[in-house]
Amino acid sequence: MIVTAQKPLDEILDSISPYSSILIAGCDGCTQPPRGLREAKTLSQLLELGGKLRGKDFQFKVTTVVKQCDSFLTASALKPQMEGVETVVSLACGVGVQTIAELFPDLPVLPAQNTHFIGAEDREGGILEARCTACGDCILARMGGICPITRCAKGLLNGACGGAKDGKCELSPDKDCAWELIFQRLEKQGKLDRIREFRPPRNYQAKAWRLTP
Amino acid sequence: MSEPVIEQKAALKLDEQYCSRCSICRSLCPFEAIKKDVETGKTLLEIEKCQVCGICYSACPARAIDITYYDSDSLIKYLEKVKPKYDSGALVIMCKGSAPDFAGVERLFGVSKFIPLSVPCVGRVADEVFLAAIAMGVREICVLACDEDYCRFDRGSPLTGRRVLALNRLLEQLGYGREAIILKRNSLKVKVDRDLCISCGNCAFYCPYGAASLESPGGAKFDLDACRGCGLCVAICPAIALDLDNWERERISTLVSRLVAEMKSPKVLVFRCQWAVFPPLDGQFGPNVRAIDLPCAARVDTFHILEAFQKGVGGVLIAACSEEDCKQEKASGKASHSITVLKERLKQIGLQDRLHFCSVAPRYPEQWDKELQQFSQRIKDISKGRRK
Repeated sequence: MIVTAQKPLDEILDSISPYSSILIAGCDGCTQPPRGLREAKTLSQLLELGGKLRGKDFQFKVTTVVKQCDSFLTASALKPQMEGVETVVSLACGVGVQTIAELFPDLPVLPAQNTHFIGAEDREGGILEARCTACGDCILARMGGICPITRCAKGLLNGACGGAKDGKCELSPDKDCAWELIFQRLEKQGKLDRIREFRPPRNYQAKAWRLTP
Repeated sequence: MSEPVIEQKAALKLDEQYCSRCSICRSLCPFEAIKKDVETGKTLLEIEKCQVCGICYSACPARAIDITYYDSDSLIKYLEKVKPKYDSGALVIMCKGSAPDFAGVERLFGVSKFIPLSVPCVGRVADEVFLAAIAMGVREICVLACDEDYCRFDRGSPLTGRRVLALNRLLEQLGYGREAIILKRNSLKVKVDRDLCISCGNCAFYCPYGAASLESPGGAKFDLDACRGCGLCVAICPAIALDLDNWERERISTLVSRLVAEMKSPKVLVFRCQWAVFPPLDGQFGPNVRAIDLPCAARVDTFHILEAFQKGVGGVLIAACSEEDCKQEKASGKASHSITVLKERLKQIGLQDRLHFCSVAPRYPEQWDKELQQFSQRIKDISKGRRK
């Protein structure tokens, strides 16, 4: 999933301050918990309360979209709601915000989230962690299913760097050393010889920015 | 300096002088809070384990147990007082855990006018109350207990079944007909609108009873036999696709509006778990405070808290059980977490002091009084500060 975090309410209040009729658009996709109808409603309530303290009287409409990254779905969900709307606050990732921006060229679109990474959720631990950098040249098959591009702080292809202490990264000690994880997994699978293979520099040209489905 | 230890007044007391050591209380207590002292043979109460269900009180043949809430004298006095007001010959004694609204009671028992008596567990109502009601001229007693496996006090509902059977036999002999007391059972469960479900799986992950699962494709699916109606899933559902019998979102909203309208500023609205605080029978708050009872603190919905603030409430207080006392598999812990998250967000607009979460237990009635008093004072101080 694409993982996002709420922007501070102050920042959102600043960004909506020139407007009074606002549509808050949730997105049911990706992040956990989904920023769907409940979050859209909660945000409208918080912004109304925050606005009152600033002497502003905002009018909110709330709605949600199955996936804001899909322009067709977003258009069909939002178009019937746009009458009188001066700005849209999007609860989606940066992609959703831009989808709305493209659909409504005359309308300011404001993000309510900061988009952080493509990651996974450990529900028991209540943690979301980066897992994929979308590099366009997947090497997971050779890495025991652990991505060093994303999870090694140095993004090394030929690790480990030797700086890890007690299995933790020397740059961020709360983070597991990705190369130690790769080593352990390959060892378990009896494929440790793979770690000795030399991996040449990656082909950054493989990364696409546009594809046809 | 350490704080002086103040002995708290407990809601349940066992009077040794009257105790005949028959052990009925010990055999009935669902929480193993009553023990027998091996050396002396005395019956001992471990108040920290007691959940004040009142089952022991209702069954003690020696009247050796004192209880703060809903003792027989208070219940009888209350009935005497309210009977003329309701002008009805029917009495409905119901457990708060599964009582529907008045229309629901009407449907269940086929009575249109009745005296309602709502208590946390009908297992706490002793024989003498039933008999006193009949002596008062009540012609029909309807008892609404929880489904047996839904009873929050485990043995309250089964005990009620046996009690009603025995009382009916007795009343028949006295010439009151075969079924003077009618017993029905009920439970309140989750409702899902699958059209709104977005298959996020949060209900399946958080349900303390494993009643929710996610079908793919299809969405959330509930095993209603396993659902115990805590409302945790309802309060967290990101798509607002769930609701709870009798504690529907709309219904609570309407209640919030009504209560806010009748309060005087500074207004304090309390959302309380019905197992954490046992309100007095006809207990009215002062003009500044109103409360909404919920099946568990986990049903407290961010939406309703913010709605209360939007309507001009000065402070919102949540009264929950501690995780150890929680009747809903530690769901109160999740409630506490949700409130912490909301508080963080309220902090960003400077409203964090207006929301407070406290853990209380009916075993110490003063605990709740103190929490409410302190919070009301805080809200008074804040609103005075505003005016300056």
